[in-house]
Amino acid sequence: MKRSHQETYLEQQEAPSMAEYGKKLQSSSVGGGDDNIDELLAALGYKVRSSDMADVANKLEQLEMVLSNDVVGSSNSFLNDTVHYNPSDLSGWAQTMLSGLSYYPDLDPTRVCDLRPITDDDECCCSSNSSNNKRIRLGPWYDSVSSESTRSVVLVEETGIRLVQALVACAEAVQQENLSLADALVKHVGSLAASQAGAMGKVATYFAEALARRIYRIHPSSAAVDPSFEELLQMNFYDSSPYLKFAHFTANQAILEAVTMARSVHVIDLGLNQGMQWPALMQALALRPGGPPSFRLTGVGAPSNREGIQELGWKLAQLAQAVGVEFEFNALTTERLSDLEPDMFETRPESETLVVNSVFELHPVLAQPGSIEELLATVKAVKPSIVTVVEQEANHNGVVFLDRFNEALHYYSSLFDSLEDSVVIPGQDRVMSEVYLGRQILNVVAAEGTERVERHETLDQWRRRMRSAGFDPVNLGYDAFKQASLLLALFGGGDGYRVEENDGSLMLA
Amino acid sequence: MSEKRIGMIEKSNNKRQRVTQDRPEFSINDHHDVLVEILRRLDGPSLCSAACVCRLWSAVARNDSIWEELCFQQVSPRPSLSLRSVVSALGGYRCLYFLCIRPVLARLPKLLWTRDQLQLSLSLYCVHYYERLYVGAWIGDAPPSSLMFLRKPVNVV
Repeated sequence: MKRSHQETYLEQQEAPSMAEYGKKLQSSSVGGGDDNIDELLAALGYKVRSSDMADVANKLEQLEMVLSNDVVGSSNSFLNDTVHYNPSDLSGWAQTMLSGLSYYPDLDPTRVCDLRPITDDDECCCSSNSSNNKRIRLGPWYDSVSSESTRSVVLVEETGIRLVQALVACAEAVQQENLSLADALVKHVGSLAASQAGAMGKVATYFAEALARRIYRIHPSSAAVDPSFEELLQMNFYDSSPYLKFAHFTANQAILEAVTMARSVHVIDLGLNQGMQWPALMQALALRPGGPPSFRLTGVGAPSNREGIQELGWKLAQLAQAVGVEFEFNALTTERLSDLEPDMFETRPESETLVVNSVFELHPVLAQPGSIEELLATVKAVKPSIVTVVEQEANHNGVVFLDRFNEALHYYSSLFDSLEDSVVIPGQDRVMSEVYLGRQILNVVAAEGTERVERHETLDQWRRRMRSAGFDPVNLGYDAFKQASLLLALFGGGDGYRVEENDGSLMLA
Repeated sequence: MSEKRIGMIEKSNNKRQRVTQDRPEFSINDHHDVLVEILRRLDGPSLCSAACVCRLWSAVARNDSIWEELCFQQVSPRPSLSLRSVVSALGGYRCLYFLCIRPVLARLPKLLWTRDQLQLSLSLYCVHYYERLYVGAWIGDAPPSSLMFLRKPVNVV
């Protein structure tokens, strides 16, 4: 009977529950040898003293109860996070499991999708978990645990959904001006989010904070933010994720294709920031067959940063000298982009090809009604050969708060997920990128009127706007697509990052 | 050491001995230009091992033309000479190889090494140079990190 029990245990996919097994252990051990180590379990690879058998069986029963009764379904992340160094020590393992489960009520819904029902031996277990950094070294026990874990998978998804539902309910309450209900819900969301590990928890925390600010009408004033801190955050975001790099490289490709024959190029950058886009363009121009054109850059920035922009100009000039491109730099400072006038740019239409570039600079202009039309009219008046526009593909500018909230929740959840999954970034940089995105979330949800500058709109909306301002769309070539795919392949997101072509424009998904 | 190199040294050794019997033995270390020619024909890992042989070889291996050859090994239409001046200004082929090309090759081994990858590597290299220029002065001693994504290990599907 003992032998057949072993065989059935190893072969069956639906393993008997742990309590049953524990009981069988107890019964078989009574008739077992006087040796310290139980023979049956030793045959399976486990070292359990016969004297400890009853204790181990009890622990296993408790474990089973905890796993099946635990409403939060905490088992998954704990199983994923722990490395059991000596799994053959069954007693020790059961002990750590028990103590761990009571202290780790955390949940990670992003890892839910990595859990597949484990049906094979442990090689399969380990390989399916190898995408996580931490590996489980449970032995054949995983078979029986899997029946518990599939049950817990359902619980895990429920908790993630509950969090989203709570957030949406809170937003609805805010929409209906039911502030007392909203207040209560926000606190509930806060506690739920705190117990949720992973990307979902972080996103929920930011959204909860934004909702709280909206309820209490504490608007984050943008003047209070240190501009150098902003720069630091943006630099960090540039380094750690492919979004900005993709944007810059693709825009550069478009510019290169437009100025292939030009002897003199003038680029107007509506938001210079740190000028990370221009070194790559200058290098590409330097290596152009036929020699480099002369390159003139007009950077637009905020008046508070005048010296910073001049400094930047100097550095770019140094780079240009190194690569052998004739370079001229001009700084323009203005509080609002719509205040720009065509003659401020000092264009030389007879000799140069003009390019206007805007990376995430157009959507804040939507905060003031009528400004975007002014700005686009100015741009049109300057008569550029090509205008490159990079914007977020999202609908965060709807009139109804609830719609905006839902859209933003989806959008930022996927962004946070992408940061989470890519193993490339060290922890501190990831936190800074999250802070960067968190500030955007704050603005979308909590601010209103002219303060709300993160007014993202979809591609179609922007297309219509540009068309009505008198611009014709130009399709991006195949080179741009190839380069973008290559860049994303380097980032190693696997199937996470994708380049999509949408009627001539490229999108990073 | 690769067998090709040993073979070439032996061949040149034998030739010398056949031509003039009373000349002293041939030592490759006396002929740096020949050494450079040999090192040029090596692949990445062999070249790196060669650079670890001794101080002399390490110094000779710093010759940028060797690394230039390595970077363009598989690119069929040879890039123009103006590329050389640009790359030297940005820090040289050796740094380009270590910072950009080697990680890119490691990360995308199945891809054919064409002009596109080269162009992308150059762009990234340029951004790195600029970051050293601009950010280095501003943040202080934080190293430029735009290429960090290439250095960290990653799961590539």
